[in-house]
Amino acid sequence: MSEKGNSLWSDAWRRLKKNRLAMICLGVVVFYTALALYGEVVYRYYQAKDQTAFYQKTDLNQAYQPPSSKHWMGTDALGRDVTQRLIQGTRIAYKVGIITALIAIPIGVFFGCLAGYFGGRVDSFVVWLYSTVASMPGLLFILAIAMVVGRGLLGIYLGIGLTTWVGLCRLIRGEVIKHKEQAYVMAAKALGLSWPRILFRHILPNVFHVIIVTFTLRFPAAVSTEVFMSFLGIGVVSEPSWGVMINSARMRLWQGVWWEMTFVTLAIFGLVLAFNLLGDALRDALDPRLRTEGN
Amino acid sequence: MLRYIGKRILQMIPTVFGVILITFVLFNIVGGSPAQQVLGPHAQADTLESFDEQRGFNKPLFIGTRTTTRAYADSDFERSAGDWQQQNGAVWTNGTLILAAGGEYALPVKFTLRTDCDYELEIEGRAAGFPMFGENQLKLSKDWKKISLRFRSLPALSDAKGGVEGEKIVPGGAPVEIRSIKLRRMMSNPFDSQFMFYLNRLAHLDFGVSYSTNQRVSKMLLDGIGPSLMLTVPVFFVGLITSVMLSLFCAFWRDTWVDRFFVIFSVALMSVNYLVWIVGGQYLLGFKLGWFPVWGFEDPRYLILPVLIGVFSGLGAELRFYRTIMLDEAHRDYVRTAQAKGVSRLGVLFKHVLKNAMIPIITNTVIAIPFLYTGSLLLESFFGIPGLGYLGINAINSSDVDVVRAIVLVGSIIFVIANLLTDICYALVDPRVKLK
Repeated sequence: MSEKGNSLWSDAWRRLKKNRLAMICLGVVVFYTALALYGEVVYRYYQAKDQTAFYQKTDLNQAYQPPSSKHWMGTDALGRDVTQRLIQGTRIAYKVGIITALIAIPIGVFFGCLAGYFGGRVDSFVVWLYSTVASMPGLLFILAIAMVVGRGLLGIYLGIGLTTWVGLCRLIRGEVIKHKEQAYVMAAKALGLSWPRILFRHILPNVFHVIIVTFTLRFPAAVSTEVFMSFLGIGVVSEPSWGVMINSARMRLWQGVWWEMTFVTLAIFGLVLAFNLLGDALRDALDPRLRTEGN
Repeated sequence: MLRYIGKRILQMIPTVFGVILITFVLFNIVGGSPAQQVLGPHAQADTLESFDEQRGFNKPLFIGTRTTTRAYADSDFERSAGDWQQQNGAVWTNGTLILAAGGEYALPVKFTLRTDCDYELEIEGRAAGFPMFGENQLKLSKDWKKISLRFRSLPALSDAKGGVEGEKIVPGGAPVEIRSIKLRRMMSNPFDSQFMFYLNRLAHLDFGVSYSTNQRVSKMLLDGIGPSLMLTVPVFFVGLITSVMLSLFCAFWRDTWVDRFFVIFSVALMSVNYLVWIVGGQYLLGFKLGWFPVWGFEDPRYLILPVLIGVFSGLGAELRFYRTIMLDEAHRDYVRTAQAKGVSRLGVLFKHVLKNAMIPIITNTVIAIPFLYTGSLLLESFFGIPGLGYLGINAINSSDVDVVRAIVLVGSIIFVIANLLTDICYALVDPRVKLK
């Protein structure tokens, strides 16, 4: 797609830049991403050296330190620095958000494209498949998948990834059905291009904005689900996930240890809010229907 | 109308079948038999086998004539002699098990084989002599090859050493070299599979027995529905009324700071994690201020806090949804007409907009009904309300597959039925739907 002129993307970016709230959210998302990358580097470094990372080292003399210049967000029950653990939590949240998207989005796009393009029996099969998955009771089904696969990150990835592709699949199917009848697709067909080429080179770029908006909006949902699962002890166990941190902070809150709970809560709130607002702004900026109405 | 309903019911069947298939694939194929997990690592093979027998896990998955048995684990002599280590005269070298000539080697089964069905023994090996297995000849030759042999166990012939007379390998004049041995139980009816067993039980509305509580799962479900509904129904109605009212508010003051405030407010509400609502609510309102009991299920007072939290946590998303609907309607032509003929703004909102917005509102409402049944997993487990959500979380924590499967299955079937009812209601209200 060319960058000059009024392409969808440059146009959308221009509109997004005008939206001050969206730009703030983008900044927040970039900040969290940087934290997650830093967390990943630290994690990899200690993995490679085969040592206990400093955010896992316990020091009972340092337990329950309130926030200070040494520990910005205080320390937890085992004397571990909350700030560092929070950063590791960001890393895990990002991993969950991205990997579940890598599972769910290809499934949704693939089935949606096929169903929309071919119609008929293929469509009936895809509709059957997604209405079946959509009938399963949400969180409980995810937990059941995680239970069967085994506790840990893999269970979370599969549980969330395999259940959250339905919405995207529906959207893509609808879009492809709309695009199928348009002149450029007819022209491509007349030129004798093969269907995978028409579908994935011509139609898909035109519905790509749907994927971007879906990614942005499902990211916070996946993170929240991970937090639940880890909190319930079905997800991450030995690493400092936000859910694990909330669970350990919950008991101490009653004794006045407020910092761990507060900062974890704020971190989740910030991430989810930034992604939600950014997703809304992206949808406004990218949805061509609104564009014709707006200007 | 009847034809439409009939058609919709027919369309429902594949979905119900799909739901059954998904639960089967998830729990039987991916999960496999939970016997070892439930009975512990030291359980005897025959205990495990009878556990499987009770729950149909010892059958082929969909269709098949043979199935594995826990009496004899497949042995591949690539790495070790496996169960043959204790056999006198059996020597394991370099990936093959050698049974010396002249001896008798009982198949090291973990429990006596059933006498009411056939077994199949599959051996990959070679022998120079004429080895026998019980009364049957093992048709091994000088070259490596795989042979299989059907036999039936005879109880009367079992001897003192635990081995059964009919189940001994007798090499005869020359040693037998073996690479692998498998034992399969033959099924008299190939359709007698795990899947048929599952369908059969479902047809009888039998969801099995919980491992952890030893109660019938169907009884546990029935016991749990009451408390779940006591929590979710108030959450549902209070949430619905509040969010519809607030969305009308937004529509009334649209494009003013009131509307904008509610938009940001709803996104902020959506972004607060459910856990935060629960932990914060328990801490502040329950513990610090002492307004509500923190945990338990004794009288209605115990339900106030969870209901409050349930309403608040869902409010953001609902408000946003209903606001979009109201604003969609507020731009329609009939609204302008009504305003032009002098209906007051409030009148337009309540008489015209709300009525027309009822259709999407009702859809959204009916679709939410199945979720009332599963209850709220988190609210119930945090406030100790013994509903289905609490049951579900406990079952997942103790890997109680039958209970989890039953809740998932019943939840999805209720969802499918609610969907059907929505469509029928739609068709009753709006005749255009039938034509699609």
